[in-house]
Amino acid sequence: MAREKLLGPLGESHARVDAPDKVTGATRYPGDIALPGQLWMKTLYAHRAHARIKRLDVARAEQTEGVVKVFTARDVPINEFGLIAFDAPVLAGDVVRWIGEKVALVVAETEQQARQALDLIEVEYEDLPALTDPREAMKVGAPVIHPHYANNVLKHVPIRKGDVERGFAESDVIVEGAYYTPMQEHAYLQPEAGLAYLDEEGRVTVQVAGQWTHEDQHQIAHALGLPDERVRVIYPAIGGAFGGREDMSVQIILALAVWRLDQMGIHRPVKTIWSREESILGHHKRHQMWIRAKWGAKRDGRLLAAEVEVIADAGPYAYTSTKVLGNAAVTCTGPYFWPHARVDAYAVVTNNIPAGAFRGFGAPQGHFAAEQQMNKLAKRLGMDPVELRLKNVLREGALTTTQTPLPGGVVALPQVVQVCARAAGWKATSTERHVADENLPQGSTSTRQPLATGYGFACAFKNIGFSFGFPEGASAAIELHGGTRVERAVLKIAGAEVGQGGHTVFMQMAAEALGLPLAQIELVASDTATSGDFGSASASRSTFFAGNAIRGTAAAALQKWRDEERPAIAIYRYQPPATENFDAATGRARPNIAYGYVAQVVEVEVDTETGQIRLKRVWCADDVGKAINPQLIEGQIEGGVVQALGYAITENFVTRDGHVLTPYFSNYLIPGVLDVPERIESLILEFPDSEGPWGARGMAEMPFIPLAPAITAAVHDATGVWFDELPLTPWKVWERLHERSYTPHS
Amino acid sequence: MEQTTIRFTLNDRPITHAAMPYRTLLEVLRDDLGLTGSKEGCGTGDCGACTLLLDGKPVTSCLVLAAEADGRKVTTVEGLAKDGKLTPVQVAFIRYGGLQCGICTSGFIVAAHALLESNKTPSEADVRAAIGGNLCRCTGYDKIVRAILAAAYDEGELVDESASMPVMEKPLFTEGPM
Repeated sequence: MAREKLLGPLGESHARVDAPDKVTGATRYPGDIALPGQLWMKTLYAHRAHARIKRLDVARAEQTEGVVKVFTARDVPINEFGLIAFDAPVLAGDVVRWIGEKVALVVAETEQQARQALDLIEVEYEDLPALTDPREAMKVGAPVIHPHYANNVLKHVPIRKGDVERGFAESDVIVEGAYYTPMQEHAYLQPEAGLAYLDEEGRVTVQVAGQWTHEDQHQIAHALGLPDERVRVIYPAIGGAFGGREDMSVQIILALAVWRLDQMGIHRPVKTIWSREESILGHHKRHQMWIRAKWGAKRDGRLLAAEVEVIADAGPYAYTSTKVLGNAAVTCTGPYFWPHARVDAYAVVTNNIPAGAFRGFGAPQGHFAAEQQMNKLAKRLGMDPVELRLKNVLREGALTTTQTPLPGGVVALPQVVQVCARAAGWKATSTERHVADENLPQGSTSTRQPLATGYGFACAFKNIGFSFGFPEGASAAIELHGGTRVERAVLKIAGAEVGQGGHTVFMQMAAEALGLPLAQIELVASDTATSGDFGSASASRSTFFAGNAIRGTAAAALQKWRDEERPAIAIYRYQPPATENFDAATGRARPNIAYGYVAQVVEVEVDTETGQIRLKRVWCADDVGKAINPQLIEGQIEGGVVQALGYAITENFVTRDGHVLTPYFSNYLIPGVLDVPERIESLILEFPDSEGPWGARGMAEMPFIPLAPAITAAVHDATGVWFDELPLTPWKVWERLHERSYTPHS
Repeated sequence: MEQTTIRFTLNDRPITHAAMPYRTLLEVLRDDLGLTGSKEGCGTGDCGACTLLLDGKPVTSCLVLAAEADGRKVTTVEGLAKDGKLTPVQVAFIRYGGLQCGICTSGFIVAAHALLESNKTPSEADVRAAIGGNLCRCTGYDKIVRAILAAAYDEGELVDESASMPVMEKPLFTEGPM
């Protein structure tokens, strides 16, 4: 088990390169940057779930003191945006389809003047029927919300493998369940903000916190009707992202304002900062999903057939919903081998807040259903849940439900399952629990000891990089300066530092690839004017793609150096193997380049008198392929676990008729330090991925994925009750334990 | 409404500043005085990103009117390091990985300083209580708690710049299939 010490910078827990400025308050986030003569912008939102705009009058607002200009839909040259489809308006002109739809922008001398003028904009609406339940919206005859999407179905993914009827007929045991997973708010601590101006070359420039500089640039350029190179996007420090900054928030509206003002002869920067409430109302959420599953297995535990239906609430526009849905379709049968599978997954258009990317990207929802099913099956068979996993996890060469093997060499599912179980002392705890379980009364424990302890297990897999044929790749550039030897190396790369430590890891990998000490690497990052397209800081892909891009660039730069070019400058683009979209009839696909694997054991304590659940300990085994910076990996595991704890227990995103009732941190409760486990044991495995740089896989999403079903398994272990919907708020738990008037969501 | 004149000590320097009486201390520091280290994460006192010291006590400055600082001593994250030398708390956050995106970091560091000013030998529970009003969405808090405990107990190591990074206690698993 002893680990060889590496000589190079790889594998070392280097301190973050951005840490000194962050601990002294010197780091500038978008809201911290001010330019001379800057104007302020505030946004008017619809606050209606579905309505037609009958009249919009900005005259009074425009005449208010300090107001420079009010912009509406008429001012947007090409009034559409979207990451996978241009189906959403930048500013609504005729119909608003969700409460956060933007209707007008006020630009004024001060923020206060802009805010006050919002109240003077006159809008007359005619309310339209609001569809907020996707199961209703997809019914034949429901009113159509968006002209692009007939029957309100944005996407249907069917997966067909084998013959499920035969599989069920041959099964000894059938387990059926209906599951609900809620919306989740990203709740990064830095609300959206940005500053736009024309740079020295006349480019419309936006300094903003995002996840993909070149996609922001492209969407801005599209809406303004400009070529991409007339737009520049720069990311200063980014205060968290988690998928929530992958779609547009303030990017296009800031660019629009500064560009239109410039045409009016007003050459001044424009700044905006959203409040917490605007942030919670204004950007997309994790998809809520309703999942029905029927699984059949042999008495010895072998899985035979799965039939699953997934209904995902997309909100009114596509954002990234088709891709999230694809991931849910692939993961809703878990990381297991199935001879027979039939999956039907639907993304449905509604008048709720748009849904989009959030750490895990469909996999947490899919795995919640899959792992609940698996733990219920273990119970039905009287089999240890870990043993049941080891009988069924996907291995090298086994065909997934999309009828292709998992790529990348070792499929480390048995390894993460075993390392995690062993580290947690699973055998001992589960044996104890099996004994204690029989003594626990089902459903009501109020006359006994109020605190009940339980243990739960779950595992997961998820893709790294974009899926389903979406164009993928990453660019980097390296300049080597010096005379007889390299004195300094400049790495230019657009990849976003969203807090994960990406920039530190990029520099470590560049030092390794160039054979230089870290101190000689300079980083120029996150600016479309200095770098090619890197793709997004999402899908656990930054280390994987940056590493491959840096290795290729370093090799080219060193060759030029040997050829005596001074400075030696190389530009390189890493292009991974192509992926495939689902076959329209069977779902057959090679959907991904690479995967990560994870398993977790949790210990919970349930207060049966109050319904409160305390997550006491977590063991997380995560195969990262190669740990470039172990301390940063631990940070991702600990942070991912705590974010998933919020998803499972504390974060209750409440909506009514499309309106959000929890737009503050006082009623949307993300975990604080007093809510988190005493111990999170990070078990870092290194089974190299054959396509990964130095064998590294992506890992940042994995620790999130299995936690919720591990918690519900532990709660069952403690109380004998299965909870099939999240979050496990105290009132919900108490009502179920005391069998009071509980009405399930699904 | 007229501006009110406020005289206070800001990071050991005397300040005289005129501001409208309804403005918060956070707004005045960030927008008028250019000290952007204190952040606004919520504006309602729920997240702690705007924490600073008012007469040595931590307050959420989004809920403090600038006029309330009159005659008092204000210390922000920018005022902790002296002559470019980081405090043990700041060094510990760097070394123990007590931050990720960093937007909440100022608030945590200020809260940790307030704790260690009043309690040189805090227990882990003391540390958790002291940062109970600060939210972080990235780290999961464990490395923040470790960093503050290290700042309290390993000061010698933290001021020694040649000291190595903390070693991972846990082994990495690289064995073949089991």
